[in-house]
Amino acid sequence: MKKPRRDVITGIVGLLGCAFFLVFIQKIKMPPKLLEPGPRLLPYVAIIIIALSSVALIIQGIKDRDKEEKPYFPKGGIKKITKSFIMLCIYAVMLNYLGFLISTPFATFAFIYDLKGENKIKPIPSAIIAIVVTAVLYLMFVYGFQVRLPSGKLF
Amino acid sequence: MADYLSAILVCLNPVNLILIIAMVSLGIVFGAIPGLSATLGIALLLPVTFGLSTTTSFVLLLAIWIGGVSGTFISAVLIGIPGSSSAIATCFDGYPMTKKGEAGKALGIGMTASFIGSVFSILLATVLSPIIANLALKLGPWEYFSLCFCAITLIASLSKGSIFKGLMAAGIGLLMGCFGADPINGMARFTFGNVNLYGGISTVAQMLGMFAMCQIIRDNAKGSTKMPECKVENMKGLGVTFKDIKDNIKTILFSFFVGLWIGFLPGMGSGISNMVAYGYAKSISKEPETFGKGNPSGIWASETANNASLGGALIPMMALGIPGDGITAMLIAALTIHGLQAGPLFMVEQHDLAMLIFACVLISAIVTYVIQIITKRWFPYILKVPYHYLYTVILVISFIGGYGISSNIFDIYVMLALCLLAIFMNIAGLPTSPLVLAFILEPKLEGYFRRGVSYSHGSYAEFFTRPISCILLLISVACVIWPFISDALKKRKAKKAA
Repeated sequence: MKKPRRDVITGIVGLLGCAFFLVFIQKIKMPPKLLEPGPRLLPYVAIIIIALSSVALIIQGIKDRDKEEKPYFPKGGIKKITKSFIMLCIYAVMLNYLGFLISTPFATFAFIYDLKGENKIKPIPSAIIAIVVTAVLYLMFVYGFQVRLPSGKLF
Repeated sequence: MADYLSAILVCLNPVNLILIIAMVSLGIVFGAIPGLSATLGIALLLPVTFGLSTTTSFVLLLAIWIGGVSGTFISAVLIGIPGSSSAIATCFDGYPMTKKGEAGKALGIGMTASFIGSVFSILLATVLSPIIANLALKLGPWEYFSLCFCAITLIASLSKGSIFKGLMAAGIGLLMGCFGADPINGMARFTFGNVNLYGGISTVAQMLGMFAMCQIIRDNAKGSTKMPECKVENMKGLGVTFKDIKDNIKTILFSFFVGLWIGFLPGMGSGISNMVAYGYAKSISKEPETFGKGNPSGIWASETANNASLGGALIPMMALGIPGDGITAMLIAALTIHGLQAGPLFMVEQHDLAMLIFACVLISAIVTYVIQIITKRWFPYILKVPYHYLYTVILVISFIGGYGISSNIFDIYVMLALCLLAIFMNIAGLPTSPLVLAFILEPKLEGYFRRGVSYSHGSYAEFFTRPISCILLLISVACVIWPFISDALKKRKAKKAA
């Protein structure tokens, strides 16, 4: 079976999203005796726009089904982006539990390796850079800009 | 006038001037490196401004904006890759000039054209914004609603690819803007029982997740973080004489007004103005065949137009509170963070700050030119910055920004979710600009519409019977219908030709 075009998939996801939000729109409370359309109006307008566009995209995708579609990412791209995104999620969880000062050097080191592409990098200078970046950003934001950074639930 | 002069003096105060110089330099670096942009620079700076005064915050943000927009021509000229879409047309003749050994001249033209475009457009914006704001004060919620609606449909219909994708992105933006308490009655919407969502989706989390994070991990996955080598000669001096300006005066003037007008229209901006101006420069040239092979007029046109868009975008932002593009949307978000609302009332109630914004943009444009003249010979080194270190720092700063909004880890999770949404949108070919604009304008759009209906005692007729509102609504409808009519006309023409 031929793989559906991206437009068709986008349209289907759009319609499913509309159905999901339609359920939640019903849960928005309406104040009594309103002279105006109330808080449900704009969510309705938004999902109508998304639903109509989704249907149009599905039709367009079906019309263009014989046209060749280039893959968005080169070979291995999906794996790379998934890996990067998981790393970001792990860093977010580490920030929550271990705080900025403990988790950032490890995360920075991991990001440098993840983003290096075809460049060759050495572990020791990268580790030093990771520690320096953490220290500089911490001092800059906490003392320079008075921005609070996560201290970690475990501490 | 006195207010404007005192605002200039505030910008020239040593601390502010140092900040402007530093941020303009950083902006030039962000603009020059393909993949980074002024938009990203502003998104990263937003969290820094939480603890700063409004004046200092805007000095930082505006300076990085001006530096960032101006710096885009550097990579376009040196390696043939535009720093952003605003310098696409600069590549056509800038890079061939570099290959011919005229990099110094091409950079000089880029710098001077950027300077002319930005300075004069900013001066015009300074004069026109208060006039437009005064007129806007006479408008009611009906006209404001139609204006916001027009801005969203305009940007959605002008988006790259299909109009449906633009509309879908705008719809997602509107839906995202509906999260949290509604602007009139304060009723909770889409909070899913989570108190953190009652205040809605944070604009900073949205900008950082959808622009900074998404861009970095997407570029990495696409393998587009490798930079070609650039070899340059003849980098001494400005490379431009008054005769060069005189010879290209027609191109410069036309490109300036094209850039100003396109910048004024929501959704178009510098990405389109440089192409339109380039096309015109080619059409009036006596040697159109030399375009694309290193004709300096191509750079004059492109760079004057994209920088003139700055002033053009500043007018609706300051006078009407309507963002012209993604960057001005962020500046409006920055005003909101500091408890201010852009629009006609802002020009009256916060007159000093409004004048400071205009003055700061002007000083930044002048400082940008001076810095570019001084540092021109080192431009090739900017393009040798190792991506893996730079992107790593940007990622960590994004996390700091996400957390700094409310010192709540929940905003970081929102940021990650929006990063994921932006990745899916990229894969699906949905543009992000309509989403950002609709998200920023949603509270205004909804507020004005519901107030309008309420003031008319439940009637919707006022939106169509008031002339300005009606004209704006007709423009909106035309924006949506026009791509279909245009397609049909093209098909008919092609059939006739066959």
